[in-house]
Amino acid sequence: MITKEAIMSNGAPSETFTLNLGPQHPATHGVLRVKMTMDGEYIVRAEPVCGYIHRMQEKMGENRTYAQFLPNTSRIDYLSAMTYTHGFVGAVERALKLQVPPRAEYIRVITSEMNRISSHLVWWGAFLLDLGGFTPLLYAFDDREKILDLLESITGSRLTYSYFRIGGVYNDVDDQFLKGTREFVAHMRPRLKMYRSLVTDNIILRKRLIDIGPISSEMCRKYGATGPVIRGSGVPYDVRRVEPYSVYSEFDFVIPTFQETDSMARYLVRMEEIVQSLRIIEQALDKLPAGPVMAEKVPRVLKLPAGDYCYATEAARGRFAVRIVSDGKEIPYRVKLRTPSLSNLSLFEEASAGMLLPDALALMGSLDLVIPDIDR
Amino acid sequence: MTTPNEPQPKVDSLPPANPAAATASAAAVSAKPVAVASPQPTNPAQPLAPPAPPPPNPLAHLSLPFKGVDYKAKGYHCEATVAPDQVVAVAEVLDKEGLSLDTITGVDWMVEGQMEVVYDYFHPTKTLRVVVRTRIPRDNPEIATIYKVFPGANWHERETHDFFGIRFLGHPNLTPFLLPEDATFHPLRKDYAA
Amino acid sequence: METPESNAQLLSDCAPYVKFAKLDELLALGRANSLWPLTFGLACCAIEMMAAGASRFDISRFGAEVFRPSPRQADLMIVAGTVNKKMAAAVKTLYDQMPEPKWVIAMGNCAISGGPFVFPGQYAVVEGVDKLFPVDVFIPGCPPRPEALIEGLLKLEEKLTGKRRWPTVKPE
Repeated sequence: MITKEAIMSNGAPSETFTLNLGPQHPATHGVLRVKMTMDGEYIVRAEPVCGYIHRMQEKMGENRTYAQFLPNTSRIDYLSAMTYTHGFVGAVERALKLQVPPRAEYIRVITSEMNRISSHLVWWGAFLLDLGGFTPLLYAFDDREKILDLLESITGSRLTYSYFRIGGVYNDVDDQFLKGTREFVAHMRPRLKMYRSLVTDNIILRKRLIDIGPISSEMCRKYGATGPVIRGSGVPYDVRRVEPYSVYSEFDFVIPTFQETDSMARYLVRMEEIVQSLRIIEQALDKLPAGPVMAEKVPRVLKLPAGDYCYATEAARGRFAVRIVSDGKEIPYRVKLRTPSLSNLSLFEEASAGMLLPDALALMGSLDLVIPDIDR
Repeated sequence: MTTPNEPQPKVDSLPPANPAAATASAAAVSAKPVAVASPQPTNPAQPLAPPAPPPPNPLAHLSLPFKGVDYKAKGYHCEATVAPDQVVAVAEVLDKEGLSLDTITGVDWMVEGQMEVVYDYFHPTKTLRVVVRTRIPRDNPEIATIYKVFPGANWHERETHDFFGIRFLGHPNLTPFLLPEDATFHPLRKDYAA
Repeated sequence: METPESNAQLLSDCAPYVKFAKLDELLALGRANSLWPLTFGLACCAIEMMAAGASRFDISRFGAEVFRPSPRQADLMIVAGTVNKKMAAAVKTLYDQMPEPKWVIAMGNCAISGGPFVFPGQYAVVEGVDKLFPVDVFIPGCPPRPEALIEGLLKLEEKLTGKRRWPTVKPE
């Protein structure tokens, strides 16, 4: 009988063939190519090939002023664009020692958490699509449209918001937004119960995900995997708790962590994170202070003092960090973007060895990749 | 020559920055003193305020040249500048400390004729972010790989090679990662022209 | 006995029940009503394309919800996202693999002209997918709203059938 151990211990069998997954494939991760050496239905070696959507974000960082680079930050990981913009403006504000007004910080938290929920909904729908179920995608996008309507009313954009500015946010929120957000939170909680009974407790999903693709916490540490990948392996690492930024330290929320390390654990982490994000949004709405939404003395021409400055945020996929190296000019000397999907995918080669191909796709879906996040 | 990594301190009581520390010399390099944010007197007649105490160094128990950094100002807790042949040893020590590899990147200091390789680490259970820097000559940028210590370094080093042309000795597969397979250019070098 | 007048009378009597047309027009109507797109989401525009296929905007009303993963079964390629120089060969191969008649919609600024990723010294982005093959409809936006994608689809149908069969929404 062919088992993973047999494959790994016997070395590469003599009759293997090469199968190319992508760069165009129906799983909606983006343009990723995986060169797989297969022994029948078992993967001997799966090597991801990236670069098919390399859009030179870091090079553009050296060609754009700090304010001109803001739209780029939304397009690195377009599903959780707010947290990426937050990372960049946070680094600039840290360098300039700008004090962001509290109302802007709370608005940033509310919109970031709404963005996290919408990102997890897209992940959930697309993951189920990979596994063969089409219906959850429609439900997920329906809920997501409610979030997008709310965010569009204050930012003007549905997907790639450039809402945060250096020093605050661009537009204040109105009562209609606050009311709509509360209604959304009230609407979403019963929906999650329905998703639990329809999908999470579904026997087919459980058979597809439980004990599939175990990733130990040691492997996560060696590869730098963060986000739900490391939280599904038992390590409660969340940038919002470990390196609290903005006003996250004022909220009471749990870091969902599961010990099983399989794909089901990562799935449950994300579903639970939606619940926690709803909690944070509610608390932020209750505590939202009055005041301005932009810092007072933001210099018209932004020149950071020479040196390097880092800022990290918890994006929907994991730890996103920005390092800006400045030489005192208007244009950064170097912008380094540390993106979670790259570290999360880098363990795929080791984790998928000896797996069945459909199981490897379940593993890849549970890693929640957005390929422009890898290629930048 | 000013190293853009740190502003020159204006207060007399701090030791002057040592530009020699920036070049990769064969001898063990001591860490550059980190400029501490201290109050600058506007009127020279006023007495100088005592400088703020340096930030604590969470890795002081290691026999490595780490210095504490003000997290609120910079975004990381400690940093060290080491010689290029020490990066693997530092990686092993940090691995034993339980840190995880965040990212590896390069910075092209063309005017100084050097490339800086920056290793970022973070701890998965403690609040700790560590930066390790090293400088290598620009016309022959080579450095040992830390892939055997942290397998995640594989892709980060490939990407750094793509962008800067830095060769990581001992890397199993130093082929283009984000650029096309037949690319021979290194776009983030400062002398790159499309 | 048949006369031109009785023939005309017959045609006008039958008009509510029977449509006479050239075969071309019938085929164009059939093709326009059931454009099958290729799942070709590259980047951010792909999410708006998925939203257009989801239940709120619903391109199924126009017969185009059947996204085919294989180019052999698709007749419409919606290039949604940035085309890279590394990816350009794959895009061209996919286009060549699609059987005739085939159409291309360039969705989003990146597919039209490289989008926000064009700057002096850029080395990776193909500035517009029409540098690779002919494009029928351009939909600007970054990303364009799903309604814009549907409007682009209707424009393509207009190109196929010669007239627009759906009402135009006038902005108030």
